[in-house]
Amino acid sequence: MFSRVLIANRGEIALRILRACKELGIQTVCVFSEEDREQPYLQLADQAICIGPAVATESYLKADRIIAAAEVANVDAIHPGYGFLAENAHFADACRESKIEFIGPSAESMRLLGDKIQAKKLAKRAKVPTIPWTEGPVENDDDAAKWAAKNGYPVMIKAAAGGGGRGIRLVHNEAALRHNMPAARAEAQTAFKDSAIYLEKLVESARHVEVQIMGDRAGNVLHFYERDCSLQRRHQKLVEESPSPGLDDRTREELCKAAVRVARAAGYYSAGTVEFLVNPKGKFYLLEMNTRIQVEHPVTELVTGYDLVQWQIRVAAGETLSVKQRDIRHRGVAIECRINAEDPANDFRPCPGKIEVFRPAGGLGVRVDTCVHAGATISPRYDSMIAKLIVHRSTRAEAVACMRRCLEEFTIEPIKTTLSIHREIFNHSSFLKGDVDTGFIERTW
Amino acid sequence: MVDIERVRELAELMDEHGLNEVRIREGETTIDLRKGSAVAPGYMAAPVATPTPAAAVPAAEADADEGLVPIRCPMVGTFYTASDPESPPFVSIGSEVMPDSPVCIIEAMKVFNEIKAEVAGTIERMLVQNEQAVEFGQPLMLVRPKS
Repeated sequence: MFSRVLIANRGEIALRILRACKELGIQTVCVFSEEDREQPYLQLADQAICIGPAVATESYLKADRIIAAAEVANVDAIHPGYGFLAENAHFADACRESKIEFIGPSAESMRLLGDKIQAKKLAKRAKVPTIPWTEGPVENDDDAAKWAAKNGYPVMIKAAAGGGGRGIRLVHNEAALRHNMPAARAEAQTAFKDSAIYLEKLVESARHVEVQIMGDRAGNVLHFYERDCSLQRRHQKLVEESPSPGLDDRTREELCKAAVRVARAAGYYSAGTVEFLVNPKGKFYLLEMNTRIQVEHPVTELVTGYDLVQWQIRVAAGETLSVKQRDIRHRGVAIECRINAEDPANDFRPCPGKIEVFRPAGGLGVRVDTCVHAGATISPRYDSMIAKLIVHRSTRAEAVACMRRCLEEFTIEPIKTTLSIHREIFNHSSFLKGDVDTGFIERTW
Repeated sequence: MVDIERVRELAELMDEHGLNEVRIREGETTIDLRKGSAVAPGYMAAPVATPTPAAAVPAAEADADEGLVPIRCPMVGTFYTASDPESPPFVSIGSEVMPDSPVCIIEAMKVFNEIKAEVAGTIERMLVQNEQAVEFGQPLMLVRPKS
């Protein structure tokens, strides 16, 4: 097991990783930008090293400084968290070349799955259905128009090197397609350094259901069931729950098995998430696979009872998974609300600033993952996440009632937060029935 | 009746022994003394730890540092006073420097980076030692700038 781990991230996930390390008896080294100097979680680390000014490109994204910090602090491994360098294969390689383990998958599988075109080809080999697509990048606009005419609109233009909901354009007809193609290529080149784009049919009224997987270096891959993340706005998730209220047992089983096949085909180890779209008839299609621990991992931790971050660390340290698939049981219902510093009444405009009052919810089956406290400042430089509020009860009705109660209790002042929209969601009849799809949020608000 | 002298005694004891919280019950009286600002329990308002004890400028010498310009570390790594163990240090106290004078080496990931003074003046104080681990923004030396 590692003696010392460096946490290459900030905020609530840095604290999450720190907690996992402490329980495993591992010493912790945190890095921070000058803007994060006063963060209280740094006091909990054995060592904290300043790696740069506030701007992320000069601090949390500065791979060489992070590895330099890892060297001076003499750590055995680096945990990248999510975002920042978590899915950067170069960084994973650089760590391992410096004889520092990267707590995550192999760089090779990151590259393979990070290329959405390669990932879809892999899915085909693993006999996992994908959304009807161009089976490769589109070379020119005429080819694109021909494919779209044959397969039908609406069509999504997607960047091969994109992911996480970025680099996606929806077009409803040929005129819109031709109009958007050049811009899509340019955007892909700028944002992802790769202008390759492909087309995909839009799956209407679909649910977004993802499967949590964990692999070890001996080739074992397990799944930890699914999370339904259909409540999204502009591809950013707001609410996640497990189990998915839209799946029957048979579809669930097939989905989870398909996820394991994808991970195995990619030679994947560590934590990962395989994302699918499920249509109203229960037919599912692979969207993409994320090669990191995800924001919403607590949902799975609560329904299965396993500490996923600790398992990432164990796998990275060379341990094999000590449980069998049949030992992983799904208990109850867990729901997470992401509480962000955004104003739902004003197009979810970010509302950074100082938090004067912070009173989180509590009680039976309530988990709050946050590094925020009264007096903390949400910086405009980083993401707008304030806290993750997760509840876990025996039935969905109880979980929803618990969450509604928690949302009433949870007080954050004076900045605007997504608490207001969550309160509305948890009083909306469609959501209460579990009858939503990925368009629900944008249609309703 | 609270004995002010007793409270004063306790406060001095706290300072002497570096205590933050003291609670004393004497018969029916309890005296509760707590130092520092009201931050959330468990989170101390202590300075953040750096790789090795950073040479924080002691308060008593703060006045003497007035007008001095720090040369701050632009990266993370190990500080070396000279380009190699056989060579003399780039600078020492009293050395005159120009903005592009090399003042030290910071080694990171096996790469040796020469750090420039960025200011013209005289080295007045060294704040770190040879082979010390240093972080971004850490003051390495103080320069009395040429007026």
